[in-house]
Amino acid sequence: MSLNSARQLELMTTRRQLFGRSTLGVGTAALAQLLGPNMLSSATDRSRVSSQADGIHHVPSAKRVIYLFMSGGPSHHDLWDYKPKLTKMFGSQLPDEIRQGQRVTGMTANQKNGFPICPSKYRFTRTDNNDRGVWTSELLPHTARVAQELCVIHSTYTEAINHDPAITYIQTGSQIPGRPSLGAWLSYGLGSLNRNLPHYVVMHARTNHPEQSLFNRLWGPGFLSSDHQGILLRSQGDPVLYLSNPSGVNRDDRRTQLDTLGLLNQAQYDRFGDPEILSRVRQHEMAYRMQMSIPELMDMSDEAKGTFQLYGEDAKTPGTFAACCLMARRMAERGVRNIQIFHRGWDAHGGLPREHESQCQDVDQGSAALIRDLRQRGLLDDTLVIWGGEFGRTVYCQGGLTRQNYGRDHHPRCFTVWMAGGGVKPGITYGHTDDYAYNIADSDGVPLSPQPSKDNWQPGTMHIHDLNATILHLLGIDHQRLTYRYQGRDFRLTDVHGHVVRDILI
Amino acid sequence: MRSLTFLIFLPVAVHADEPVDFSRQILPILSNKCFVCHGPASNGDTDLRLDNVDGATADRGGYQAVSQTEPRSSVLLRRIYDATKPMPPADAEKQLSTDEKELLARWILGGGQYARHWAFVAPQKTSLPDDSEHPIDQFVRARMADANVSFADSADRSTLARRTALTLTGLPPEPKQLARFLADETREAYDSFVSELLNSPRFGEHQARYWLDAVRYGDTHGLHLDNRRGIYPYRDWVVRALNKNLPLDQFITWQLAGDLLPDPSMEQLIATGYVRMNPTTAEGGVLPDEFQAKNNFDRTENLGTVFLGMSLTCARCHTHKYDPVPQHEYYQLLAFFNSTAEPPLDSNAYEFGPTLKVPGDQNAWIDWQQLLHERSQLIKNTADIIAKPDFPEDLRSQWQNSSDDVRFKLLMAENSPLAADAGGLSKRIAEATESFTTTLIAKDLDQPRPTHVLQRGEYNLPVGNALQPGVLTVMGELPPDLPPNRLGLARWLTAREHPLVSRVMVNRIWQRTFGHGLVRTPEDFGLQGQQPTHPRLLDWLAVELQDSGWNLKHMLRLMVTSKTFRQSSAWRPRFSDPENRFWTRGPAYRMDAEVLRDLGLWSSNLLDPHMGGEGVKPYQPDGMWKAMAHPSSNTREYVRDKGRQIHRRSLYVYWKRTSPHPMMTLFDAPDRESSCVRRGRTNTPLQSLALLNEIQRVEIARGLAGRLISHSDNDDTRLRLLFTLLASRHPSAAERTACIQLVQKMHERYSESPADADALLATGDTSVTNLTEQVQFAAWTQLALIALASDLAIMIY
Repeated sequence: MSLNSARQLELMTTRRQLFGRSTLGVGTAALAQLLGPNMLSSATDRSRVSSQADGIHHVPSAKRVIYLFMSGGPSHHDLWDYKPKLTKMFGSQLPDEIRQGQRVTGMTANQKNGFPICPSKYRFTRTDNNDRGVWTSELLPHTARVAQELCVIHSTYTEAINHDPAITYIQTGSQIPGRPSLGAWLSYGLGSLNRNLPHYVVMHARTNHPEQSLFNRLWGPGFLSSDHQGILLRSQGDPVLYLSNPSGVNRDDRRTQLDTLGLLNQAQYDRFGDPEILSRVRQHEMAYRMQMSIPELMDMSDEAKGTFQLYGEDAKTPGTFAACCLMARRMAERGVRNIQIFHRGWDAHGGLPREHESQCQDVDQGSAALIRDLRQRGLLDDTLVIWGGEFGRTVYCQGGLTRQNYGRDHHPRCFTVWMAGGGVKPGITYGHTDDYAYNIADSDGVPLSPQPSKDNWQPGTMHIHDLNATILHLLGIDHQRLTYRYQGRDFRLTDVHGHVVRDILI
Repeated sequence: MRSLTFLIFLPVAVHADEPVDFSRQILPILSNKCFVCHGPASNGDTDLRLDNVDGATADRGGYQAVSQTEPRSSVLLRRIYDATKPMPPADAEKQLSTDEKELLARWILGGGQYARHWAFVAPQKTSLPDDSEHPIDQFVRARMADANVSFADSADRSTLARRTALTLTGLPPEPKQLARFLADETREAYDSFVSELLNSPRFGEHQARYWLDAVRYGDTHGLHLDNRRGIYPYRDWVVRALNKNLPLDQFITWQLAGDLLPDPSMEQLIATGYVRMNPTTAEGGVLPDEFQAKNNFDRTENLGTVFLGMSLTCARCHTHKYDPVPQHEYYQLLAFFNSTAEPPLDSNAYEFGPTLKVPGDQNAWIDWQQLLHERSQLIKNTADIIAKPDFPEDLRSQWQNSSDDVRFKLLMAENSPLAADAGGLSKRIAEATESFTTTLIAKDLDQPRPTHVLQRGEYNLPVGNALQPGVLTVMGELPPDLPPNRLGLARWLTAREHPLVSRVMVNRIWQRTFGHGLVRTPEDFGLQGQQPTHPRLLDWLAVELQDSGWNLKHMLRLMVTSKTFRQSSAWRPRFSDPENRFWTRGPAYRMDAEVLRDLGLWSSNLLDPHMGGEGVKPYQPDGMWKAMAHPSSNTREYVRDKGRQIHRRSLYVYWKRTSPHPMMTLFDAPDRESSCVRRGRTNTPLQSLALLNEIQRVEIARGLAGRLISHSDNDDTRLRLLFTLLASRHPSAAERTACIQLVQKMHERYSESPADADALLATGDTSVTNLTEQVQFAAWTQLALIALASDLAIMIY
């Protein structure tokens, strides 16, 4: 039995037997009995890891995913979506026919200077790609150099206009807390590729502007069982919570202790015959292995010098975005399926240039290095990398506007996300916005009318449900069929929406 | 002719006379496989509807989907077996199984009768044939007999004592209490043991947790900044109410509508914190109307899960596809909550909207009650003076027509004979009030907000006329004598004829006693939910709950005294029932996060019994909050407590909703942003790391080691205490050997490097240093750590 069908069986088992909030324990135990002990142990084998084709609905093009999440909403105006015509409109009011009475946030709805157009102060350059070429601003020089690998999507959009609802929406498919996160869905759908490391790892990268909050729910299990939650890989203290033995306890001691623990649990098993006891013994053993494998993962002394030239010297400092990217590559090599890096600080309501310069300084080299590195190691083809935030920023200025300094409010109606590797067409530019980067437009820059919606996909557009549907598709999952019954309803990540955007697939 | 032809192939004709239970056997199939297109959300004028008898039997131009008079002509019957035009269509996601087709066929051939979904019909008590056997056991035995199996042997008494104590109070029995129970072999011994547990203050603390999960209690607002919120007096009220065994109908009523009761007491007002429990925000840029709607969604849907055992979420955007909940009724239900007086945005403030000043913890509450008691005594004492004939008549009548507050003021007047006493008491009352804390309460606006159906659940798309508050008609009407406000809502929920509330409540009581519910989907009693394993038992218990005066302790006593509960938990070698649907063995499950921690603190004598007050902050790895929090959040820094605070019961651990304590979430505690009526029970390597490495675990292990060492010099005596504390029994020979060997190995190892022993013992605030016996201490600490992490300690059997 392949893992593919085994996983389907497990999903069936858990869905049939354990509706709603439930443990996977029984399902996993049943699975283990069916498959015998070999399946679980052989999954550690590196060669097997890289040869495994284990999507659950179709053969996946991506075996793993690295999500670089820019929390706060990066300005597409200042990074990606080049709008030269705006230069001449500096300070003039955004035309009503562009805004069309759309909702803006309470922060700028009534500002005295109205909606003054704010062209980006940054110089853009065009890079040839396999498509119409792509523009990047001077804030992303490294990223520009890997543009040949990227699929740059200008027409991502959402309905949510404030951070908490928007970030909850893009990560869980619902603006209201309570649903499983994208990562938890992947964990539930795909299981693990290895048995020495967690399969879903989340990192919080350092920033100079820790604005906006992150929430456990963004990598939380919602109503799935809690073993599907993302495991934080931390740069402070133990990299994984409670990884280190207490002071005065060494690895040999722990082995001795675990042997005793095994004997006590065996005695308990002899009394009650409860299979959960045996399953727990295996978890204790995996924990013991993790105490080796995680320090080995974190120890970068085996990295060649060139690595730090590629990622930058920053990568030597734990917790920097560059270090997180390098760690992501190390985990990808070791079979961690699902890696997310959250980088905060993109919420530039005022003083955008200063903040975004610092933010880009944080992420530019690391993101680009990750792409190059994965490519060099032959991993990019089956590793999906995603870069983006929960929404974009407004063309009009929030607060005082000068040529050199300005702020921008939240803009959900279009923003730029890029994807790379894992079966996404390299070097393409997808979707258009109008001359104000305000509405999603056709290739002539004329706003689509009506604008696309989550119920009405249009070619060239990418609602966040479409983005999630496409991510799942690349990982071998049909977003309409990965469901979990809770409170009588078969829930899915994309709710009742989502469209796989095949135009960007190889 | 066609129908006759196909009937030849019907594999079921032979069983056609066996009765089929529509509600329990047919409706779930129709709901799951047909209602998506032919259910409540379909257009009954044009589309075929199978969710009611009129739709199913309607004349659709010469034929009927279901014909009750000529069953064999029913088109439904033909289509489910039709090879060319099958129903469900060949490309439908959900197909009928052979068994399901057979059932449908039997149902139609038997006359195609409709009945309501079982959970929408008020429960009835079945009369019990046997007075001498425990009611629960009669139901369970009957079903066992069908499966040709019988009860397991009773659990041994020590295991039972541990199970019962942990079930009722969340802590094992005290060694003395255990010894007393084991020594008493009379029939009444178990009953009095149970009584002792039900009367323990620990009872309410443990039972409260389940309720707090359901109502999503947290100490922070939950959204955006996730700032502190003043609400913990509500948590403490829940504990008090359960300890005092407040009847559950009142427990419900106070929470939904305490403020609307006549002359509400302080406790009735605190209880309305339930209405304020939804996560809130004050994110810059959000709109009040948007969150007025979202807050109401949350409250309405929480009501659905907690009291009705149903998800109402579907009906926020459209009529429910499975359950008979039309969209407008969802908004009528929502209208009960739409007129509360708090602003929709929380201003990131600790207190917002209506609040009340109340005593800060259980001791303060007791003191406050004492003061009030003294005050009323003082007023009573005055009665003698007033009654004297020479007392001026006008003053007497003034006194008699006054409230206690006014009387007390009169007593303080200079010329009052009790001025000194009253003055002193008044001062003490004023002092007590000064240390009061704030709690959020519910209050209605004078002028209700209009409620409309929101198209697709969008806050800015109201449609139609304003709606009156109203209930879900499938569960009965709001009686005309009840006010159309939250009080009426509460009365409707707790009315005898309400089909769901008593079932839903009793199912959760059963779930926390037996490890699984009778209905395994406690969050869904609707058409898509699972059937109860023992329907008549569930109904009997639901009615018994009402008959007993909504008496929680009575129900728990009933459950834990049943043979069903008292069985051995060992798996049955000759009867396969992995999910224990026949209840042929006793409960077996890993303890909840809080119980795990409390048991540890208790076994090491560290547990601080102080009850109530602001959430406490035990050890937590540095930086966990800061790495995620908004820079302006007042829960950005986790400043951990010192001293005894870190050894309080886990119920009191501070609950930051966007980042609850990791020792909670690692062991399946919910985030409390949304309702949880059933926790998962996972088994992960991270749990192993936490059990063996977390500072508090080490501290607990060291405390326990110290207790064992000071208890006796003899290893066996120590081990007996260790096992008594954790497992309520003595070790077996194999367990003894394993433990002794570990202690010996650790003893040797630490003798060689005593510095390591010192390091281990120095962990945490309660570290012990400069011990002469540190090697021994460290060795026993290691054993205690392992024993506490083993299934001896963390499982309930």
